Amino acid sequence: MNTKFKSPQQFFRQRRLRLGLVFAALLIIYLVSVIVVNFQTLTSLAQVPAGLVWLFKNFVPTQQSISYLGPILYQLWRTLIVAVSSTICASLIGLILAILGAKTTSPTPALRWIIRFSASLLRNIPVVAWAMILLFSFKQSDFTGFLALFFMTLGYLTRAFTETIEDLDREKLQALQAVGANYFQCVFCGVLPEVASTLTSWVLYMIENNLRDATLVGILTGTGVGFLFNHYFKQFRYDAAGLIVLLIAVLVILLELTSTQIRRAIA
Amino acid sequence: MLKVIHLNKTYGQTKRSLKDVNFTAQPGEVTAIIGPSGAGKTTILRSINQLIRDDSGQILLDDQDIRQSNKAGLRKIRHHIGMIFQNYNLISPLTALENVLHGRLGAKSTLAGVFGMYSAAEKSEALRLLQEVGLGDYAYQRCDQLSGGQQQRVGIARALMQHPKMILCDEPIASLDPKSTKIVMDILRQLAQEKQLIILINLHQIDIALDYADHIVGINSGEIVFEGPSTDVNDQVLQQIYRQAEQPEQAVTANEH
Repeated sequence: MNTKFKSPQQFFRQRRLRLGLVFAALLIIYLVSVIVVNFQTLTSLAQVPAGLVWLFKNFVPTQQSISYLGPILYQLWRTLIVAVSSTICASLIGLILAILGAKTTSPTPALRWIIRFSASLLRNIPVVAWAMILLFSFKQSDFTGFLALFFMTLGYLTRAFTETIEDLDREKLQALQAVGANYFQCVFCGVLPEVASTLTSWVLYMIENNLRDATLVGILTGTGVGFLFNHYFKQFRYDAAGLIVLLIAVLVILLELTSTQIRRAIA
Repeated sequence: MLKVIHLNKTYGQTKRSLKDVNFTAQPGEVTAIIGPSGAGKTTILRSINQLIRDDSGQILLDDQDIRQSNKAGLRKIRHHIGMIFQNYNLISPLTALENVLHGRLGAKSTLAGVFGMYSAAEKSEALRLLQEVGLGDYAYQRCDQLSGGQQQRVGIARALMQHPKMILCDEPIASLDPKSTKIVMDILRQLAQEKQLIILINLHQIDIALDYADHIVGINSGEIVFEGPSTDVNDQVLQQIYRQAEQPEQAVTANEH
């Protein structure tokens, strides 16, 4: 990129031209996809208000829905437990894998590539696919949901942890080596204290994320609040299903608020 | 006494970084290595505690060759060589006290180090060292809340916790303001005199080197071009040390065309 410009005007003209081309490209992609799937933009937009009205009429919880509150809360609690436990287990194993797999702390490059590859494999299989595969071996149970979330989270966190450790200034570890610290001392006295707060942030984020995913996985594995949603939905008890959606949203928001507080406290 | 004899280091196939480097540094003295950037100052300093592996030569600390030691031996030797850095390199979320205690890691078993099991005597020594460098009030502060000059003093306390024979200082004041520079350099000189330590400093500020160092080692393109008491350094010597300092940059631009 050492193009010489004749004048600033020419430079900015070229900048504007490039931006224009990007927008044009996006527009073309949109138009092509509209034609391919035969999507009618205006008609679809016109249907949105009616759809929303229907949704509100049927899904808004009524006084009657309160009677479902007991079973819903119980299943919501179970779902939360599955989300939290799978994340915690995945983060403990992910941390060990990340230390072995990060460029700064890895004992051998071979191990690094194996860990990178397997983490990427785990991560790139969608959680729904995990659940369906595991259904064969573990049937419809909380454990299947736990495993599906565990594998996906393990892939994610190993990657995130590895990158956090690799971002660490190598000189800080050299300083501990210079003191005479050995490998384990460098890891426990240097690497872990440096990355602890970032890693905690990642774990909290994954718990939030997994609560949402756990609901979805529950529909497939026939457990938790996801199953209950599916159950009410199929019985046309939309108000109860709506109550579930509302409660999940409330729980996710509460979880987010708590983790923001925790993050602030440890930053 | 530190004796560096016939030290050589080549990076890659061709780029020679150190060419037959010889010099000595005495306990009780501040020895400064000066020279243009890229001359090899950092390579020398990091060869001494083998953070960088050199190619050939001898590095004798009290007649023991550091280069000949095995892994465990090197750990023991490193334990008695303190090191401070331009970027301080403390573990920033930990307190000043914890960072000073890290100076004991080289003398501890793996488990004791990993779980931070320090004796009461070690803890009170760490606190006393922080008081010695004027940071007694900051012992329980996280290091990322300290100023640069304060962090460097924590670094010095960490080095002292090692009960060192020698402290290596890699551009210790390059990121500090004049006031902190004076505090840090005064402490280093005082340590050389009072504790009879070998203080070896890389510096690019000539005036500070001449003010504080007893002994000067001048290096240019990986070769020692001057070694002697700082009183012998005159304009002619400085010209020799810093000669052709611009040439590498010219070479780079020449390559581009």
